[in-house]
Order: sequence, then C-alpha cells, then structure tokens
Amino acid sequence: MAQIAAQRYTGASVKRSEDPRILTGGGRYVDDIKLPGMLHAAFVRSPLAHGRVLAVDASAARALTGVVAVYTGADLAEMTIPGQDPLFAMMASGGPAPEYTLLATDKVRFVGDPVAIVVAESRYLAEDGCELVEVDYADLPPVASAATALDAGSPPLFANLDDNIIGPHTRTEYGDVAGTFKNADRVEEFHIDIHRHQNVPMEGRGIVASHDPETGIMTVHAATQSVHVTRLGIAMRLGMDAAKVRVLAGDIGGSFGLKIGASREEIAVAAASRALGRPVKWTEDRGENLAASGHAREESFDVRAAVSEDGDLLGLDVRMVIDIGAYPVMGTMVPGIVQAMMPGPYKMAALGFESTAVATNKASYVAYRGPWASETFVRERILDLLARDLGLDPLEIRLRNVAPRTDPPLMMVTGRPLVGVTTKESLERVAQLIDIPAFRRRQAQAREQGRYLGIGLATFIEGAPGPRSPGGPGEGPMGIEHMRLWLSEDGILTLYTGQMPHGQSHQTTLAQIAADEFGVPFEQVRVVVGDSDAVPFGLTGGSRSATMTGGVALHGARQLKGKVLDAAAQLIEASAADLEIVDGQVQVVGDPDTAIPVGEVARQAAAGRLGDDVGTRLEVQAQFDGGEGGWSGGTHCAIVEVDVETGIVTVERYVAAEDCGALINPAVVEGQIRGGIAQGIGAVLLERSAYDADGNYQSATFMDYLLPTACEIPRFEIEHLETVPTDADVNFRGVGEGGMIVAPPTVVNAIEDALSPFGVRIYEQHLPPARILELIEEANAG
Amino acid sequence: MDISVTVNGETRTRSVEARRTLADFLRDDLDLTGTHVGCEHGVCGACTVLVDGRAVRSCLMLAVQAAGREVTTVEGLAPDGALGPLQQAMADSHSFQCGFCTPGFVMQATAFLTDHPDAGEREIREALSGNICRCTGYQSIIDGVLLAAQRSRQA
Repeated sequence: MAQIAAQRYTGASVKRSEDPRILTGGGRYVDDIKLPGMLHAAFVRSPLAHGRVLAVDASAARALTGVVAVYTGADLAEMTIPGQDPLFAMMASGGPAPEYTLLATDKVRFVGDPVAIVVAESRYLAEDGCELVEVDYADLPPVASAATALDAGSPPLFANLDDNIIGPHTRTEYGDVAGTFKNADRVEEFHIDIHRHQNVPMEGRGIVASHDPETGIMTVHAATQSVHVTRLGIAMRLGMDAAKVRVLAGDIGGSFGLKIGASREEIAVAAASRALGRPVKWTEDRGENLAASGHAREESFDVRAAVSEDGDLLGLDVRMVIDIGAYPVMGTMVPGIVQAMMPGPYKMAALGFESTAVATNKASYVAYRGPWASETFVRERILDLLARDLGLDPLEIRLRNVAPRTDPPLMMVTGRPLVGVTTKESLERVAQLIDIPAFRRRQAQAREQGRYLGIGLATFIEGAPGPRSPGGPGEGPMGIEHMRLWLSEDGILTLYTGQMPHGQSHQTTLAQIAADEFGVPFEQVRVVVGDSDAVPFGLTGGSRSATMTGGVALHGARQLKGKVLDAAAQLIEASAADLEIVDGQVQVVGDPDTAIPVGEVARQAAAGRLGDDVGTRLEVQAQFDGGEGGWSGGTHCAIVEVDVETGIVTVERYVAAEDCGALINPAVVEGQIRGGIAQGIGAVLLERSAYDADGNYQSATFMDYLLPTACEIPRFEIEHLETVPTDADVNFRGVGEGGMIVAPPTVVNAIEDALSPFGVRIYEQHLPPARILELIEEANAG
Repeated sequence: MDISVTVNGETRTRSVEARRTLADFLRDDLDLTGTHVGCEHGVCGACTVLVDGRAVRSCLMLAVQAAGREVTTVEGLAPDGALGPLQQAMADSHSFQCGFCTPGFVMQATAFLTDHPDAGEREIREALSGNICRCTGYQSIIDGVLLAAQRSRQA
C-alpha cells in the first residue's frame, strides 16, 4: 500500500530557484559561451523565393583578413551525410521524401534559405565575409501559396518529386458520416483560414560546436528542447557515432516548439568545427529568426457541419490543406493530430477528415505551442457561426453539445475516452464569473452610444498527457519517462532529468515533488538538466512534463526512499517499515531521538559499511509510463471593445476556468496559462509571417512582425476547477499549450459578437485593425 | 579606438572598432553577459542598460559613444550577488520564465521607478511597453514592479 507523503511544497507557489541567477545577469545562455580559439559563423542566405543556383564565388570572402573558411552548399554536401531533417527522419511519417542538401546547392527554395557559411575570427568579420560571397541565381517561378502548390502544373520544388504534394491526400471516417449528413436538419458549409505566424522566442537559435580532433568527441553547446534529440540529429548528419556527440545546454531563452533537434544551420556549424578543429559559434540574429527559423499554422479548412434545428452538432466533415513551407520538418505530422482532436470535448458522433500537405517557397513549418490548435479554432468558430444561424446563445450551444461526465466516460468519435474531462463544469463556472445577461444589457447600452462590445467563449481539451486508451499500446499515454535519482553524502537529493526547461521552472517544480515524497527540505534537492552524458533521454514539449516527469520524480523519490530506509535500518536497528524520513532525517516513526541525517546514511554506504545489498551509492533509475493520464482543458471568455473608426480591438476582460489536475506550483501554472493566452491574443490582433504574392518575406523585423506588449495584454482572471483524480498518485497535468490553443477562437468569437450589428461573419484568425475595417465595409456592402 | 568607460563603478579601458556596439562591448570585451541581445534593432529592449542613469538600448549605441560615461548593467545592481529590492520583488512575484528578456526589464524598470516611485499600473505598463517578453503575458512583471514600488514607499 503506497504511503501518501506529506505535501509541504507541492501545491504551493514556491519561489523559483532559477530566479536569483536570471535576475542578476547570472543566466548562462548559448551566446554567453566563450571557448578558447572560438570562431564565429554567419550565413549567406537566398534573397529569392525560388531560384536556381548557377554559381557561388567565395574567393573574395576567403581572401578577407579574419575569414578562416567559407563552405558552400557543395562543400557541406561533401562534409555531411545527405538526408532529411533529422526530426522528420526520426518521426518517420512516411510519404514522399524530398531530396535536398544541407545548404542549398542546385536550388534555393525560400527567402532566407542558407547557401553558404562563412567562418571568421569575429561575427563582424563573418558578416563582412558574407557580403563578399557572390551567388548567381536564375529566377524560378515561385510557389507562394498552397493553392498554387496544389496545382499539378506548379513547378516542383524538389527534382525527385513530380509535384508539390508532400503529404498525400488521405480521408478517414469515424461513425456514420454519410448517414449523419443525410439525416441532418441542416448542413452548413464554411471555409476557414488560419494565417502563418511563428514562435519568436526572445532568444533565437544558436550553437557552439567544438570538435576535438584528438578524441573525436564533438561537444555541442545548444539551445534545445532536448539534448538527446540534438545529439542524435548532429550524429546522423555528420555520420558520427552518436556516443561521440555530447550536447550541453544551459539556460534557454524560450522556444515554444522551435528548438527541437538540430536545424540545418546548426548541423552546418558542427560540420565546420569538425573541419577546422576549432570551436565555432553561431547566434541567430532576429532577421534570420523571423525569416528562416521556421513558421507555423498556415492551414485552411473546408468544413461541412451537420446540425439539428435544436442546435445539436451531429457531425463534421473537414478538408484540411496545410502549407508546410519549403523543407519538411513537422508540417506533415500536424494533420493527424488535428484529425484525432477535432471532436474536442463534444458528443458529435460522426467525423469525416481529409488532409493534404503541400510544399511552398516559404520558411519550413515548425512546431509552435499547440501545433494542432487549428482544430479548436475551427470547431469553436463554427459553434458560434451555427449558434448565430440557429438563434442560440454561444453558451447554450456549447452546453447542449458538450459531453457530460459519465461512467464509463464517453469516447471522442476518434477513439479516445474523455476521462475526467470537466469542460461542462468550466462552461458553467465561466457563466458564473461573467454575468452574461448583465453584459448583454451593458452591450446594448454601449451600442446606443456607438461603442461596440463583444463577448466570446471557447473551450478546449489538451492531451497532456491524455488518457490511457483501452486497447492501446502497452505503453502509457506518452511513452516512458526516465529519471535517475541519487542521494549524495552531503544529503543532497539530485534528480537527473531529460527535461530541458526553457522557462517552465522544472528546477523548482520537480524539486517540490521530490522533496515532499522523499522527505527533505526543498533546498536539499538539486535538478540536473542539459548534459547528454548525464541525463536520460527526454524532451520538453507537448505539455508532457507535469505528468510524465512530475510522475517519475514522485515514483523515483518513493523508490529511493525505500532504498534509503532499508539501508538506514542497519544503522538505527529498526525495521525499515518502522522508519520515516522527516525534514532530511531518518528516524523511527514519531521518534526524533532516533534521527540521523540522510547524508549520514549515504556516507555509511559510500564507506562500504552497509553491505553488498545496499552498495556504495544510494541511487535509483526510475521510470514512469504516465499512469492513468488524463486531460487538461477548460473554457476561456473574453470581453472586447472594437473601435469601428480605427479597427483597434481592446481586450477589456479575460477569464479562464481551467482544469490541469493537481497544481504543482500555482504561480508557475498561471504563468504558463497567461503566456499562452498572450501569444494567442498576439496571433489574432498583431502577428503575421507575411509573404507577398511572389514569396518575398515581408516581416523580417519587429517593426513588421508585431508582438504584443504590456499595453495590449490585459490582466487575466484564472480559476482552477476541482479536478477529477484519475490516478492513485499522479494527477498533475500539463498546461503549456492550452492558452495558445484556445485564446484565438475566444478573441475572434468576441470580435464577431462585437461586430454583429454590422452583420460581420468571420472565417479567419488574423484581425489587425485594417482587416477589421474591411470586414465592416464588406458587411455594409454585403 | 581606445576608450575608457565606467562600468558598474569600475573604469574599463579597451581598444574597440568604431562600429562595435555597446552591447557587444559589454558582452564580449568585458564578459558582462547579463545584457542580452534580442533584436539588434532597438525594439525588444532586452539589451537595455543605464548610461549616466538613463535607460538606453545598448544594441543601438556604439561603444565609442559610451566613452567617458557611466554604464550600469544588470550585474551592477546588486554587486554582492544578492538581489536588489526590485529584483527581490520580481522573484517574489514569479515575474519571469525563460529569463532572456529579464535584464532589459529590470534595467528599464529600475530607471523608471527612480523617476516615478509613485507610478500606478497604467504608467508602469506604458513605461515597459518598449520591452518584449514572450513568456509571461506581462502581468507577473507588472506585479513585481508594483510590489517594488509599494515596498519602497513603505520603507
């Protein structure tokens, strides 16, 4: 029988152990690394969306004092192993595999495509060298939109493929799609567009690669969400034994999905270091980051909805086209997740889903916080459009369609059980927090004064980690998470985790859980991350760490405690079953007079005095399969005001009722929720990775790619719902992506509500002031 | 060019190229890597330092323009390694996540609070609207600055 440990830290907003460093300039980011003899790299990049590379002349650059080497695409092709993006290759998603080189050789395929790398004694000199590299291009017709790419006659980006279809068309049906649509009272059709936008971490990508020719060891300092995925990617493309690549990571200045694995530029830097036998650093500048690091979300949806006159959403039939940009990284994997999540927490009994992924002459599609988020946008937008057509309130149509909690739980029509999902409760809670009838009265009065207020609701669920599926694979909802835990002679409990925090505060939250379960003060727990020679395999992403790593910290601490108590039994002369660890002391239960510090047990073991069964090192290798898992989710509600003269939207109030299970650290949880909502508001009101009709990138500075500031983002009111426990021990659920998933439909729904007197209907996500004014004008002309 | 700059109270003399930015001078020549470079075009505010007490974007200023002046970086706010009052209030408020924008916010808020110790939320938001944070949604940062202002008034 598992003993539930006292909860001294877990559940409290413990102050972050990361903060004293980052607040005093003591953070250690990849650009802060300085190694003896280190060189600096910069890239020559394509100014064209689509072109043939006729010649690259690097002679003037090579002759510049301070330039150590210039490697063209052809040079790099000889220095590396050809193949796909490592992440794409590792995910083995199937479908056509375009052939291309690490840096462009025959063709360039987007504005910013790297063509050559210049390595010099300083970054300034490397950039001087880039100016001197002469590249002759011949223009090719750009494939600047998904519509063009779908045309079989569009010029193929890749010579080994006949067209630009990278993810071939597929169709899947769940439930009786034909019958549902045939028998429905109404079938409505919508076309919905999501615009291209991007991660924009405040720190761009970067790497310091240092190859030691004597040992053959490549040491890489990286900004990454996983030191091991980066290690495997570099080894794969450099043709190295993966054991000879060591990846280290310190602090990471945000990522939001961008920094998974090893990008083309990072692999090129590692290859340059190996060729030169010296450390080489590359730090992505903001122009490169905005143009070339990767973009997300450019997707369009043709949707048919089968509904009853009463407002029952009976089924959807969805056709998705995703623009994955030039080089496949993540884009072809997104439609499968969108499909699986399309029903959300609703009862709909039929879903038809088809998708096609196309390549275009734009930056590659990368993961961005909630990569499948479009399903929530499409579904929550359609619910409001249907409600308007049927004369229902947005709250009413959701309450009518949301799956109630039943035993056993209802299944999404795509197959996963809605275990412990509290969407209905979150809708009811939001309706309590915001007095909607009172708002409607205020809205009516404001309209009489020419002011346009609107309210928007949206719900989401997130598999963070998701439930253990009946009949699913033997592994839990998100694979297996590993952790090594060690009690050292000074009494410090050290956790070695493959998580690679980049803002998530794991060094605080994992220590909270382990301190409680093991029985030491929080300050006595150390969390080691960011060294592929020391930490187990892992990845920070997919909102998986709360359950998976929180869970392995809990179970691992329990396992190590058992080992320590067994060892201490020899010292205290009591049965291990009668011992406990309290505040770092092992003692007979309830008897502080018998206490000895945990470090003393470790010292006795290290001295070999506790026998072979204990050994000399108090350490365990723990693993956790996610237990019973569960969903995160909730309802968000925004009240906005739209200035119909300027098109400016102001978010007046924003309320979130969420259930992410048991909170490890409420301040950390709320920080994740607020940050995600801010990105979602930015996506709707400001942010767009814009290309012109010829594929020229238009958003390469922060004057063009606008991010929300403290003046656009309101205070958020966050409520945590009572959780339905699904697991005996581990009920923490991830919260990293929900805000970014649900804020866009919440805000767009509010804007449409504000503009309802004009008859405006919204079928898109990006609504900057100019677009708001157009929508009003179009509706007036309508 | 040879320049002397007083950085965090200490006179530092170096030979620099005319084109070298103050940010690169601080980070690479003086190893003061607490100052971060986020955009190199003066929008994000991550590189904010104090020059003669005023908040300045060190990516838009040349090192030679700082010659003979007093520069304060985030490392200079609490030289003994402790947290200053604003830094403590920000830690208490869970102000930050990844930490990359942090030094810029700390320096901008330091300069602002010096001149406006009684500022309210709206003024603080406007004063910090030239600094971008991608992680937090700002509320926790604003709360940290408000807490520091409140504590300084009570002190």
